[in-house]
Amino acid sequence: MNGKWTALSGAVFAAVLAAAPIAAHAEDWKPQRPIEIIAPAGPGGGWDLLSRTMQKALTEEKLVDRPIIVTNKPGGGGATGWNYLKGKEGQGEFLAATSPLLVQNNVLGKSDLTYKDFTPLAALMAEWEVVAVRADAPWKDGKAFFEALKKDPSSMHIGVGPALGNDDHIQFLTLAKAYGADPKSVKFVVYPATAAEQIPALLGGHIQAITISLGETLEQVKAGKLRLLGISSPERTAELPNVPTWKEQGVDFIFPHWRGVIAAPGLTPAQRKFWDDTIAKMVKSPTWKKALDNLGWESFYQNADEHTAFLAKQQVEMATTLKEVGLVK
Amino acid sequence: MESILHNLGLGFEVALQPINIMWIVIGGLLGTIIGMLPGLGPATGVAVLIPLTYGMNPATALITMAAVYYGAMFGGSRASIMINTPGDASAIVSCFDGYPMAKSGRAGSALATSAIASFIGGIVGMAFLVFFTAPVADLALKFGPAEKFSLMLFALTATITLSEGSVLKGFIAMAFGFMLATIGIDGQSGAIRFTMGIESLQDGIDFLVIMIGFYAIAEVFKNLSSLDVRYDVDSKSIGRVWMSGEDFKRSLMPMLRGGPLGFFVGVLPGAGGTIATFLSYAIEKSVSKRPKEFGKGAIEGLAGPESANNACSCGALVPLLTLGIPGSGTSAVMLGALMMLGVRPGPVLFEMHPEIAWGVIASMLAGNIILLFINLPLAVPLVQLLKTPQRIMLPLIVGMAYMGTYFLNYSSFDFVLVSISALAGYMLSKLEIPIPPLVLALILGGMTEQSFRNALTIANGSPAIFVTQPISLGFLVLAAISLVYALKRHRKLMQMI
Repeated sequence: MNGKWTALSGAVFAAVLAAAPIAAHAEDWKPQRPIEIIAPAGPGGGWDLLSRTMQKALTEEKLVDRPIIVTNKPGGGGATGWNYLKGKEGQGEFLAATSPLLVQNNVLGKSDLTYKDFTPLAALMAEWEVVAVRADAPWKDGKAFFEALKKDPSSMHIGVGPALGNDDHIQFLTLAKAYGADPKSVKFVVYPATAAEQIPALLGGHIQAITISLGETLEQVKAGKLRLLGISSPERTAELPNVPTWKEQGVDFIFPHWRGVIAAPGLTPAQRKFWDDTIAKMVKSPTWKKALDNLGWESFYQNADEHTAFLAKQQVEMATTLKEVGLVK
Repeated sequence: MESILHNLGLGFEVALQPINIMWIVIGGLLGTIIGMLPGLGPATGVAVLIPLTYGMNPATALITMAAVYYGAMFGGSRASIMINTPGDASAIVSCFDGYPMAKSGRAGSALATSAIASFIGGIVGMAFLVFFTAPVADLALKFGPAEKFSLMLFALTATITLSEGSVLKGFIAMAFGFMLATIGIDGQSGAIRFTMGIESLQDGIDFLVIMIGFYAIAEVFKNLSSLDVRYDVDSKSIGRVWMSGEDFKRSLMPMLRGGPLGFFVGVLPGAGGTIATFLSYAIEKSVSKRPKEFGKGAIEGLAGPESANNACSCGALVPLLTLGIPGSGTSAVMLGALMMLGVRPGPVLFEMHPEIAWGVIASMLAGNIILLFINLPLAVPLVQLLKTPQRIMLPLIVGMAYMGTYFLNYSSFDFVLVSISALAGYMLSKLEIPIPPLVLALILGGMTEQSFRNALTIANGSPAIFVTQPISLGFLVLAAISLVYALKRHRKLMQMI
């Protein structure tokens, strides 16, 4: 028994020695400890669902051989969770969910964090933005609606949530401007509980329209309670082929509300490559595709290089847009 | 009517499958344990247990999650009664009379009352859910910002009338609560208010942190003076976990009143268990023949709110089942889990998947009965806790309170907040400033402010909207009545002195 153990541990020792030089080689980094995916918000929201979907796909497709945990760190419009990630410099086992808020909060001056404080890994999915009115409302398309808004802004109240300055808000301001209405004259009603308050408020006739992502309205549209005036996708969606894009309606506006994943700052090229390859495999896996289908999300994959360039572009564009619509002075 | 009964039958067929009953028991038990730990409420409980549901069919998954939700509601009030530490906001009110009851040797009776009242509230809520879902959902749509503002104003003034002694001190407490509620980033303007440059305050103050400080730790301070005193209670009498006939007679009406109240408040998005429990307490106190006993262990003050709380969780399912909109944090989590399983709750859920919608409703009825049987025997070992010497119990409570605080936001800054609020809570009780109006104003402050501003935006700046909308006007009148009532009672008190 004893001899066997010695022999075994000797063999393990030799294997470790042999493996050591390879492990140091750039190609071969692998997570050494349990992986932590940070959802910088409470359970139930978009970041939380994305983190848990990643956890599920990576585990079930056996793409990583360490356990994955998802931790919720809500606060500061994502800042609490992201700051925690920022403190894990060089540790490849820490990831976090992101969205355009990472860029917007910085441009709006709410946060010092930018994408440069992290290692961007990928954009994963997008939801398209829509403007919804009640099914019995008089406006049939974007033009009719924004004409009415232009004529009498005080009769049109637009629901937005959870706070001003997000993608939903920016979509509406951009559209108002494109249709020739004064973005500053729009009366926004802010609902901190988002769709949970916005949809009853719209159905109850307290407000005239909401600006929101497609998924939140899908079931209400199918049930014939809401009408969508337009969608920010490049082409009509398969699920709702009757809803015209903004582009068809003459407004050059394609606007994905994307979500993605970032890693801790200061990752080595090997660590970054590991995740770049792993995520590329993940987005092609059946588990991932089925999960996106179930959640009604569109795939919006960018690899690490593409996504980093995309973030740099967004940072510039967002500053311009927010200035044009008067949110940034 | 007949079709409802037919559907309910279908639901029971699903709910009473052995596998689903097993998950109701497991989910209910886990939920009860989670709910007992301070800081871990129903939403966290459901979120933690989501991985359990991955392999399940959607009906079983939702049934399990609903059982966890219920279990946590039952469990939350255990901690309120035994150690004055509410597990979440809707269990605050259970501290008011539940904890004094436990201290005076009636822990068993308090635990039994809370379990039975929860059960009755759950049954009343269920009955409303089965028969009134459609009309109530329509009524809830009429609640715009003006109506919500007036409802919250009523809840706040009603709480002032609860305050012992001076009405003025009640107002002072409420003002403090509102002030604390304004700290943080304002969603409408994006302005950062009163954070004094501390980044951790940008999201505002989590009321659960303040609550743990005010109730659990401040209570430990108060008990320090009696460190060596054991509760002079006969272990036989505390061990008896049942309600006496007299107790039951006194609790019955409060339970039956709390049920419908809780259900209606639960239907309104965002209002939830806090308003329901506080309002139920206010109502019970004002209709009681013995208002003086409230706060000192009046069984009515425990039974009404406990019933309202459970009925409220049934009400919160109305928007989820009819509109596909989560009415509370917990139902938001359930919605997310259902979507991951490929079911999208929405207006057509009842037609597309009747077995899920009705299965859940039937399982809640079964779950309420099962939880009653889990909770009554569980109370027996719990009450033995009271025999623990204070020298051991008090440090344990402090440890658990700090642990619970950290679990809320994983923020070490909250340790500072909980310590400050513990000291403040102790001072307030020495000054006889009532804490409930402060806590309620802190919880509702943000919502009240946003509803006020939204109402004014919709009315293009005219405050007339609050009195021209009939529902809003109704609540304002009720608020005025409760204020006059409080002032009158106060004058009477002064004359007596």
